[in-house]
Amino acid sequence: MKSSYRPLRCLYTPNASSVFSIQRITYPTFIRRFSSNRSTISSYTTEHSSPKGHHGHHGHDAHKPHSHSHPARTATVTDEEIADLAHKHQHSLSLADLVKHGRPPLSAEALFSSANFTLSLLPIRLAHRIQALRNLPFIVVSNPNISKIYNNYIHSLSTLLPWKHRTISDLDTEIRFTSVLAELVATHQDTIPILAKGFLECRRYISPVEVTRFLDTHLRTRIGTRLIAEQHIALHYSSLPHFDPSASPTPCPEHPSYIGVIDTALSPSAVVDSCAGFVADICELKYGIRPQWVIDGEPSTTFAFVPMHLEYIATELLKNAFRATVENTHNQGKREPVVITIAPEPPDAGPPRVTLEPPAVDKGAFKSDAIKPLDDNAPGVTIRIRDRGGGIAPEILPNIWSYSFTTFVEDEEDLMMPGGLNAISTGGSSIAGLGYGLPLSRAYAEYFGGGIAVQSLYGWGTDVYLRLKGVGKIK
Amino acid sequence: MFPFAVQNVTQSFRLISSCPRRKIHHHHGASGPRLVAAAAALSNASSLRPIGRGYGSPGANGRRWAHQTAKWRPVQVLDEWVAKEARPISLRQLMVFGRSLTESRLISSANYVRTELPTRIAHRIRDMQRLPYVVVTNPHISDVYELYYTAFDTFRRVKEIRTLDDNERFCQEIEKMLRAHLCVIPKLAMGILECSGLMPSDELDRFMNTILRSRISRRVIAEQHLALTETFHSDWFSPGAKLSESDFIGEVFLKCVARDVVERCGDAVRDLARSAYGPDVQVPEIRISGHLEATFPYILSHLEYIIGELLRNSVQAVIEHHHRCRGTTGDAPPPPPIEVTLCEAPRHVIIRISDQGGGVPRDMLPYLWSFGKGPLKSERLENLVQVPLMAATLQELRVDGNSQRHSHQDGSLTSLSTRPPNLRLGMGLPLSRVYAEYWAGSLELHSLEGYGVDAFLQISKLGNKNEQLTTRAAMDAV
Repeated sequence: MKSSYRPLRCLYTPNASSVFSIQRITYPTFIRRFSSNRSTISSYTTEHSSPKGHHGHHGHDAHKPHSHSHPARTATVTDEEIADLAHKHQHSLSLADLVKHGRPPLSAEALFSSANFTLSLLPIRLAHRIQALRNLPFIVVSNPNISKIYNNYIHSLSTLLPWKHRTISDLDTEIRFTSVLAELVATHQDTIPILAKGFLECRRYISPVEVTRFLDTHLRTRIGTRLIAEQHIALHYSSLPHFDPSASPTPCPEHPSYIGVIDTALSPSAVVDSCAGFVADICELKYGIRPQWVIDGEPSTTFAFVPMHLEYIATELLKNAFRATVENTHNQGKREPVVITIAPEPPDAGPPRVTLEPPAVDKGAFKSDAIKPLDDNAPGVTIRIRDRGGGIAPEILPNIWSYSFTTFVEDEEDLMMPGGLNAISTGGSSIAGLGYGLPLSRAYAEYFGGGIAVQSLYGWGTDVYLRLKGVGKIK
Repeated sequence: MFPFAVQNVTQSFRLISSCPRRKIHHHHGASGPRLVAAAAALSNASSLRPIGRGYGSPGANGRRWAHQTAKWRPVQVLDEWVAKEARPISLRQLMVFGRSLTESRLISSANYVRTELPTRIAHRIRDMQRLPYVVVTNPHISDVYELYYTAFDTFRRVKEIRTLDDNERFCQEIEKMLRAHLCVIPKLAMGILECSGLMPSDELDRFMNTILRSRISRRVIAEQHLALTETFHSDWFSPGAKLSESDFIGEVFLKCVARDVVERCGDAVRDLARSAYGPDVQVPEIRISGHLEATFPYILSHLEYIIGELLRNSVQAVIEHHHRCRGTTGDAPPPPPIEVTLCEAPRHVIIRISDQGGGVPRDMLPYLWSFGKGPLKSERLENLVQVPLMAATLQELRVDGNSQRHSHQDGSLTSLSTRPPNLRLGMGLPLSRVYAEYWAGSLELHSLEGYGVDAFLQISKLGNKNEQLTTRAAMDAV
């Protein structure tokens, strides 16, 4: 199962007729809306996105062989279905939603309830994204890259729609549903670099402000959508009926403190320390210098959070801090260590936010007596990363939160060919070097109610404040 | 007509409120603030009004009598002045103006102040007239309105200053007014707290910010002129002489050495803490690092107020947090130090104050910069009653028997006002930010809840930035 779902690498499936049916549905809307621009649009579309001419010609990733394809018959999605779903309220996800089905291994019933919860959220979220993409200018969505993403969303929604009115209540159905989710996660693997490339190519036709607004919402929603799908997949592979964590196509850590992809006793100092080690290795490799770091405050703090999110953010922030430390030559060769301070929020007063059922049966590493009491878990943490790297110049400061390609003018090639520390990225995706580090880190931090603030002392150093909200009190 | 209505309102309110006020004034009129404060502390919020009012207006009888018989104030006069734009000045202008002082320069300074004061006050009166009726009828706000109108009427009538004698009379008028207006900050603060349910709190805060900023601006130009006059008349001064960089020229201290200011304020704040918490308390050390040579031109009293308030917050937080965590045992380890980092860049100086005082509780965070809202509202009101006069300087923070002075010069009439150092008025941060932004700087705060707070004060270094007055558009929007 793991090997059958790989990232979708091509915009158009061999089955051209199904693509055309999607195009037929969507084109008239655009043409009506942008009729005044029709001449520009038609020349642009013939040049870049004529469906037949496109296949195999646009270099970036079309050379990849089609190791798999969409199901032979892709259900199409009607305007009405999209409008209907996009009209519905998009549930704002909380970490408590993701752990509420209990500790693994989940029973079949708990697994069904997780599946049905996932099914109730995903189509609405995809429809909202499709709606937002459709509201972009025609010329932008006609760009092969953006168009590819658009079609990925249409495709993913079409795979979910047949499930819309069903309730998952038997193991076979649940297995098929999980495989749909696994395909969805794989399909959207490379969304960010493709969108970035698309918007870069379209920068003459859409203002940076609009791009930023679109991406801010898009990337945030994407974080949640992926997490919902990945969480169910992980719960599936750590559930009683299907217990096989190592077979999961998405992360499924086998550790008693984990519930799916969430660590209920995550140690921020351990994560930060291992990320720092990783970034320092790269620094040593690239610059021949290994920056030092110190972790103080309350390093023993634990809280319930998504480790992959913290890893991503910590790596991005440490990359900035370490690079500044290495490149700052004002200290006469003396490099002060980066100081990371961990501050736990005082515990909530009142009853626990979440009450979790203990695992019904011991299975693998998931043993009921292996779970430490979480009474002293912090409801959230603040992590301050303080470097002596010389700070951020005042003229750069206003742009640190923008996706750098939006303000980017020349050296297009450099942007697409990351080097140095930019090449570091967790998860192996290719977003590094796109200038996404800070804005995407902020999106991750803000997703569950946290945030990032940057305070520069130009000529001295930078303080970065990362606030993360955990699940709250767990029982 | 609108202003007419406002006039009548104030009058009729006065008639209604005059009975309890007079009674209380009669009983407590001559007694000190402590008695009144005690009375106020016992009574509830609604009965605070006549007390605060009765106490807060020394010489009120005469003024009120005059007001009641005063003719209707023609609205056109105010309109004329509101139509004029304020003319902002920069620190550099203030410096250069004073550096080669001559009689004609002094006279022209006088005339600048003469026209600038009523213009700036007129705009603030118009702001108040645009507030909801129910807000301006609040006794504190209405007192401030009255003070402002009297000041406006006085200054707009001053004839052009031609001689040093004219200037002398003008300066006396200014001093009188500066003294009379020392009650404005606490009155406004109480008024804003009492009115917090009566209009949107962000609008109230905006009003408070504008009026305080304008107040700073008027006091700067007024006190600057008083200081110039004093310099001109002093024995050592010869007209036209170039003053050295280190001399005071009027209000502007040419060179503020950041390290000295922090050390001086730190010593004062640590002394205050010892007297507030007792001699046995372990007061945190204040460590200064970074660019220790950083200097910049600034108005010393403003800088001392901001640094003083920030350090006071930090010292109090560290002492109280340390006390909570370690208990009171005699051999407890010393509290963690407060780290002050000075950072000098070509265009600005940043002073970072990091403490380990436990941070700001998350339910307080949204209200840090607000004058009018927050969970501690009633406590703040009770505390404010004990502070009838406030110049907003570090020096006025005083405990009995601890009246040692640190400042070289007493430009801000600080000796006239004192306030108990451990009273929490909830104004330190918002008022400090008004001061910081007034000279194109900024004040930011980052809380690591459960650990401590980092405060960042950014100061614009060259002093060629204009004072930041509200624009006309913003004024009209209030």
